[in-house]
Amino acid sequence: MSEVNTAVSHVHRVAQALGEPSSLLALREAAWRTFQELPQPYVEKTDLRKLTWEIGSFSEQVGKVPAEVQAYIDRLQHSYALFVDGLPIDFRLSEEAKAAGVTYCTIHEAPEKAETLWKANFGTVVAANENKWTALNQALFAGGVFLYAPKGTHMEAPFETIYVWTGGEAGAYSRSLVIAGELADIRYAETVFAAAAGAKVVNSHVLEIVAMADSRVQVSTADAFHRGSTHFVTRRARVDKDAHVLWTVADTSDGTCVELVENELFGPGAKGLARVVGLGHGRSHVELTASMRHVGRHTESEIVMHGVLRDKANTIFRSRTEIVKGAVGAGSEQHDRMIMIDGTARADAIPMLLIDENDVQRCGHAASVGKIDPTQVYYLMSRGIPKSIAVQMIIWGYLHDTVESLASEPMRDLVVARIERELSR
Amino acid sequence: MGKPDFRVQNLHVSVEGKEILKGLNLHIRGGEIHAIMGPNGTGKSTLASSLMGHPHYEVTAGEVVLDGEDVLAMSTDERARAGLFLAMQYPAEVPGVSNANFIRQALNARRGEGNELPVLQFHRKLQEKMKALNIDPSFAERYLNEGFSGGEKKRNEILQMSMLEPRIAILDEIDSGLDIDALKIVANGVNQLRSENIGFLIITHYQRLLNYIVPDHVHVMMQGRIVRSGDAKLAEELEAKGYDWLKKELGIEDETVEVEA
Repeated sequence: MSEVNTAVSHVHRVAQALGEPSSLLALREAAWRTFQELPQPYVEKTDLRKLTWEIGSFSEQVGKVPAEVQAYIDRLQHSYALFVDGLPIDFRLSEEAKAAGVTYCTIHEAPEKAETLWKANFGTVVAANENKWTALNQALFAGGVFLYAPKGTHMEAPFETIYVWTGGEAGAYSRSLVIAGELADIRYAETVFAAAAGAKVVNSHVLEIVAMADSRVQVSTADAFHRGSTHFVTRRARVDKDAHVLWTVADTSDGTCVELVENELFGPGAKGLARVVGLGHGRSHVELTASMRHVGRHTESEIVMHGVLRDKANTIFRSRTEIVKGAVGAGSEQHDRMIMIDGTARADAIPMLLIDENDVQRCGHAASVGKIDPTQVYYLMSRGIPKSIAVQMIIWGYLHDTVESLASEPMRDLVVARIERELSR
Repeated sequence: MGKPDFRVQNLHVSVEGKEILKGLNLHIRGGEIHAIMGPNGTGKSTLASSLMGHPHYEVTAGEVVLDGEDVLAMSTDERARAGLFLAMQYPAEVPGVSNANFIRQALNARRGEGNELPVLQFHRKLQEKMKALNIDPSFAERYLNEGFSGGEKKRNEILQMSMLEPRIAILDEIDSGLDIDALKIVANGVNQLRSENIGFLIITHYQRLLNYIVPDHVHVMMQGRIVRSGDAKLAEELEAKGYDWLKKELGIEDETVEVEA
């Protein structure tokens, strides 16, 4: 059997195992062809020529939930969906969410349960033909949720999707679609637990967010992608008139990752905020772009990126603001700061401003890479605090605001523990 | 522990190879307030920073002894835990670290492991001290010095001092940039702490502060050493007549050794 046939049968097997309608299979097959046709992409700071395009396997065997994950789940009070190696394992919809009339199911059930919304939105925020890895995701996606919050829904408690990869040869192609109806105010979170992969494969994760007019969506992510494979992550929100999408991204991956978090500020008055904290450690290579694309008039955005690097980590933080022709009166701010703890690490802070409109309200950016400020260390030490504790206090202070804005207490604790583990060495 | 005893002998300090302090002597005991005065650029702030162990300053000769312990052999944090405190002229801003958390870490470091102050007691004590210094309660949860006005930073230094209860407190230009009301509050904070258990070294180039904190000893610094010592009257004399008469008397033409920030 040729390689292509193997892969196509793989597409079929994924679709069948997940019990999808046949209409979806056609979508997958088309995306697979797109994946094959699209050329090898160019990514500025990540040499893809050395990386594999081998795809991972898909198991129909339900994997065991690792103890660490179970302990995490046990603490959750809110609605969640748990996927292990792409398969749905556990699912909870809170009474509050039920009462609000929220549609919450796996992404595979959505074409039947929410046909109209599905057709209108799936693949419109992150399209299959955007690049090779978004095509790959649409061909092979397994695991992920569909969430629709009807008009006026207001919920403090988040909906959380937990993706677990137990290692082995499984490929990771998660995909979720979140739609906030008009005037809705909701929180959504994605948390990744992953063991080191048994095989080097290419993975692609997608999150599509649709924020309808006047809605507000707070999205939190806690990624820890594993060593061995290559991870492409594409998370994007389409933000309609006067809607507001706020991202908090916490990345502690130790693998090779090319990640994008983006707001398309589509409607007039749309607003976006992206806060990112990254901890580079080991031999991680993370190229993370936080991007705001201003399309509507009087749109506003802010990007705040904070990186801490240890060991031989290589972290690239790119803050990108694009103001297209016609996005009159747009305003944007970027702050990108990276702290090197070990001299062996490598950090790139790249601010990008792509402006095609003359009438811009303001457009500020600041980027820096450096060591911890010695005057801060001296000040803390002058009050009796030992140097090692002073350094940790300063780093935590620097990450504090972003970590605090994560969706829930268990999520904050998880991110703190992940960072603490690498900082306290 | 008995009365604090702090002795500086023949202290020589260089910055980037240039000698700033050229043999300075000082002896402070518990209950005493010493004031160091002098024009700008005579080495006053260098003295403060080098006593605290700022890495920028290199001690090339001399001795500093606190209660029989060799201070120069200690790191900055060890000096603080031994009871030395420096209220800084330009304290650093540390975003994300709350004032209360910082002070609690510092206090517990000073008290030592196993002797930490329980959280509730700590907050009660902090609120009391803040009230005494006319500091808004929201101060505790604000990030350390971030966005503080000049006066707020100075008051924060005094707040830390009164929380940490040092054995020797050095106040470096604590009066600079303060209006008269803020100055009175800061002076009041110092006076409240005044006891046999603490000795003060107050660095200033205005006599104004010394109207509110009356020193026992006044020293004049020029050319990196103390050129004249006296009691509170010396400060008044300097306020009335300036420094020129003293320079003439001592035969000093250029009193400076550095360009102060």
